[in-house]
Amino acid sequence: MTPTVDPERVLRELAGLWVSAGKAGDAEEGATHAGVLRACTMTLVVAEEDDRDWPRLGETIAALMPEHPARAILIRLTGAGPRALSSRVFSQCWMPFGQHRQICCEQVEIAVSDAALADLPSVVRPLAVPDLPFILWCRSPRLAGMAEFDALAARAGKTIVDSQGLPLGGVARMAARGTLVGDLAWTRITRWRETLSQVFENRHNLARLGTLTDLSVAHSAPMANTAAYMAAWIANALPRLKISMAPDSGCDSLRVTLSGGGFRVELERHENRLVVTVDGLPRCANLPLLNDYSQMREELGIVRRDPVFDAALARALQLAYPSV
Amino acid sequence: MPTDNPFQDPLRFERQVPECVVVIFGANGDLTRRKLMPALYRLAYDRRLSAGFAVVGISRTPLSDDQFRENMLDAVKRFSEDTTFDADVWRTFAEGLFYVAGDINDAGLYQRLAARLAEIESARHTGGSVMFYLSTQPSQYASAAQGLGAAGLGKGQGWRRLVVEKPFGHGLSSARELSGSLHEVFDESDVYRIDHYLGKETVQNILAFRFGNGIFEPLWNRRYVEHVQITAAESIGVEGRGAYYQEAGALADMIQNHLLQVMATIAMEPSASFRSTAVRDERSKLLRSIRPMTPEEIRYDSVPGQYGPARIGGQDVPGFLQEPGVRPDSQTDTYAAATFFVENWRWAGVPFYVRTGKRLPKRVTEIAIQFKPAPLAIFGAGDGDRSPNLLIVRIQPEEGISLKFLSKRPGSGMDLRPVSMDFNYGSSFGERSPSAYETLLLDAMTGDATLYTRQDMVEASWSVVEPIQNVWRETRFDFPNYDAGSWGPAAAEEMLARRGHAWRRP
Repeated sequence: MTPTVDPERVLRELAGLWVSAGKAGDAEEGATHAGVLRACTMTLVVAEEDDRDWPRLGETIAALMPEHPARAILIRLTGAGPRALSSRVFSQCWMPFGQHRQICCEQVEIAVSDAALADLPSVVRPLAVPDLPFILWCRSPRLAGMAEFDALAARAGKTIVDSQGLPLGGVARMAARGTLVGDLAWTRITRWRETLSQVFENRHNLARLGTLTDLSVAHSAPMANTAAYMAAWIANALPRLKISMAPDSGCDSLRVTLSGGGFRVELERHENRLVVTVDGLPRCANLPLLNDYSQMREELGIVRRDPVFDAALARALQLAYPSV
Repeated sequence: MPTDNPFQDPLRFERQVPECVVVIFGANGDLTRRKLMPALYRLAYDRRLSAGFAVVGISRTPLSDDQFRENMLDAVKRFSEDTTFDADVWRTFAEGLFYVAGDINDAGLYQRLAARLAEIESARHTGGSVMFYLSTQPSQYASAAQGLGAAGLGKGQGWRRLVVEKPFGHGLSSARELSGSLHEVFDESDVYRIDHYLGKETVQNILAFRFGNGIFEPLWNRRYVEHVQITAAESIGVEGRGAYYQEAGALADMIQNHLLQVMATIAMEPSASFRSTAVRDERSKLLRSIRPMTPEEIRYDSVPGQYGPARIGGQDVPGFLQEPGVRPDSQTDTYAAATFFVENWRWAGVPFYVRTGKRLPKRVTEIAIQFKPAPLAIFGAGDGDRSPNLLIVRIQPEEGISLKFLSKRPGSGMDLRPVSMDFNYGSSFGERSPSAYETLLLDAMTGDATLYTRQDMVEASWSVVEPIQNVWRETRFDFPNYDAGSWGPAAAEEMLARRGHAWRRP
């Protein structure tokens, strides 16, 4: 018999989940009728390969829920093999400190093999919460390159990928379809960009901005797209700069130097510190821990067009593919 | 020369403090150590401060810059409540800390300060912008402002702002006198009167809640609102500040500033924009619309209280008169409750019950808006609970908003029970809320006065409070009139009962 998932059944299971969660809450609290509080601000679809670290992904989703409560639909990509499509529902609850009532979010996990991928959009679409944003977080570069991905992304108001595992051209193609796109390779440099921007909040430094002539970005191989974004963003702000991109050792190193007219600004990371040096005077800034949670937290907070990213993506493409 | 930073990205970047120097008078005082320095350090930790940002501490005790830095390091480590101490961040932040010793009444202090500011400006490119923060005795505000003016520090190459803490006078005439002194040096637009209640997230969220949503505002008037209760309860006593407190009292210490500002925020008309002037104009207009009470009304619609000794949780708690530094015959109010009416079309006839007190059962600050019952009662007395609809805005300790309404209890028959729909800041937004001082310092340094009190608001508040104060001063009360650990004097309950209402037990 062909494996199927009936969205109506999943929705009934979700409804049943709330009834049982409410009863459990009442039982725990005795006569206080505390129940549970359902929280939902969006539908978040997360696609990930089966052989990746699912417990860690679960922790990330759980950490995101208090700030971005969502109906989370987790798609477990089981890869090649016989056709497989199955689902289960559960809730993600937490008890706010000092409160008597749990707050809960819904989760649906769908396991799907490549052979059943074509059926996935028809399962996911009815599960989306009406009138709230629908966000797709594709953690699988393999899926992002497949035709089935386009059908899934077509429903999404925003698609989030990480171009550290994808060519920038793929990100640009998604953006060209008109949906909002978030790229964690770009999110990764927000605090860097902010620190550089802060240097020029000082009027003394701002007055010397015009003297800068050169931009050098040294990066390790895995940081190529992030470095391209950084260079592109700076180049958009200062179009006349001469840009040089250079490889660097280390697993995720990035160093940015702006210079010219006797003025020099450098940004470099040392462990979890960002050191910005202006004319030899260093200043240390605390760099928040960068992980899936912190980056997704930022991206989920932006469900509208991001003109600075759009411009940086367009310019980064020119830097990555100068001959195109 | 470019005038705008081309690297700005307002969608993703946090609001930044422009280059400036903060000069703190009273740099060794409690407020600086407990609130100001931890807040400034937190702003540095969050990368909000510009590279050249500097602080100049001023106090009488002779200290070197390094000694001042050591003192502030200790303060930051002891009083930063939810901030990880980062030695590297502190080191670069501390490089911008300086100290000038001197007496506020000594003209030489201001000359030395001017010289120090010039040095800092040259070394750290702070653009000549300076914020003077008076964290001193209120009696020294005028001297400090005049000293700054005489040394030419009231004006400069960049902006100059003056931040003052409450109390803003101890009555209408002294408030005007104080403002007059400040205005000799600083324009009103450069005077920032801090009210830390307005910096709390939930107070700000009242504006978002009321004016960012279309569904509540139509209900926000005399047609639907039965009454409003504003409560600011403290479980602690005067905590060794008896001598200070007995000169102030709950009415002047809390209602005149914090609670009337909260009331103005909850009751003001929508402003035309979210610009500072527009919001403050509306808040001010509301304060001016509060009807000052006649002496007769004051006896009927206000209640002073003073706590007496009690035993709480197995521990003996002293009454106010037994607190150190308090005169044994003190008539100071440690509790104050009043019924205010707003004379405009929106609120005519709706009582605003305001109360505050020390040694109440718990620490809680909240606003409760009680709505009128449904116009036609189709459910009978046997159909369960008939609790009114309540909208509760919790300011502390857990910031949030709750809406209480009736729902049918599942099962056969019509059994109504109240349910609560809760929005909790801590759980709905997992991120840390900035402290009130972080918010207010950031606002002042970026020139946003929306959450600061303006002179006309101060005067309007005193116009409401001073008549009550005068009647209370002329009356001999039979204090103490409530036990520590209780919800206040019985007369406060009676004040509401006369209109068929009752205080909530938060």
